[in-house]
Amino acid sequence: MTIRFEDLRVGDDLPALARTVTREDVRAYADAGGDPNPLHQDDAVARMAGFPGIIAHGMFTMGHLGACVSSWVGDPASVVRLSAQFRAPVFMGEEIVAGGRVRSLDPETRTATAELWVTVEREGTTEFAIRKGEAEVRFPD
Amino acid sequence: MPGAGLPDSVRRVNLEAEGKTYEAVPFDIDEARVRAFHDLFGGPPGVPPTFLTAAEFSVLPHVIGDPELSLDFTTVVHGSQEYEFHRPLLLGETLTVVARIASIRQKGGNGFLVIEMRMTDVTGRTVAVTRSTMIERAASA
Repeated sequence: MTIRFEDLRVGDDLPALARTVTREDVRAYADAGGDPNPLHQDDAVARMAGFPGIIAHGMFTMGHLGACVSSWVGDPASVVRLSAQFRAPVFMGEEIVAGGRVRSLDPETRTATAELWVTVEREGTTEFAIRKGEAEVRFPD
Repeated sequence: MPGAGLPDSVRRVNLEAEGKTYEAVPFDIDEARVRAFHDLFGGPPGVPPTFLTAAEFSVLPHVIGDPELSLDFTTVVHGSQEYEFHRPLLLGETLTVVARIASIRQKGGNGFLVIEMRMTDVTGRTVAVTRSTMIERAASA
């Protein structure tokens, strides 16, 4: 399913995308992304840094956010800008939910700008693993 | 030379390294590696928007290991991340990656380091620019 620029309205929500973060996936990301930092693989190292256990890479969470945006648009090549601020750690077994909302539309360049976030429910409150994310998506003519 | 000659515990990033540019490093948009990103994050076909993280991490050791920068990486967290695409990435192409210290600031005892990487194709045209903000946390009291 692909959306068309003409169908978009300011305030539209991007379909939320959820996944549970596992140790196996985080290890697979360390290999694929080339980030061997032991904070994401070794519980003892993570505890020394003050965490209860390993945390996901910020870029793991942003990779998930990128999939949310690409799936919404239908083609990753349409994404001309993507940014995110990392605000909270994500622990193994937690569910992260990526989402966003259309903030502005420019018919001249057929570009949509969306604000983005990734949330995690922790002890009854919603934490933002990513907030103030932004995507600029250019639609073909 | 802030930090020079001080013990590691009070070492701080060298503010004078701002503007420094690093040696160009080649990076392949390797099909198997793109597939690994896809297997992990899903999304429609094409190169995922955060794939260039793999390019950044192939260059990052040259930057963070630079003695002139004097960064204490054990206290560094990834603060924010941005990707800007000038054209879609092509499977199998080789990019040239040049890293630059775009800015270094100190605020509230923390160091804020923006590492910008410009990625150009074989014709020398810019394909993408990435910006990573690294935060060197002040040593806890």
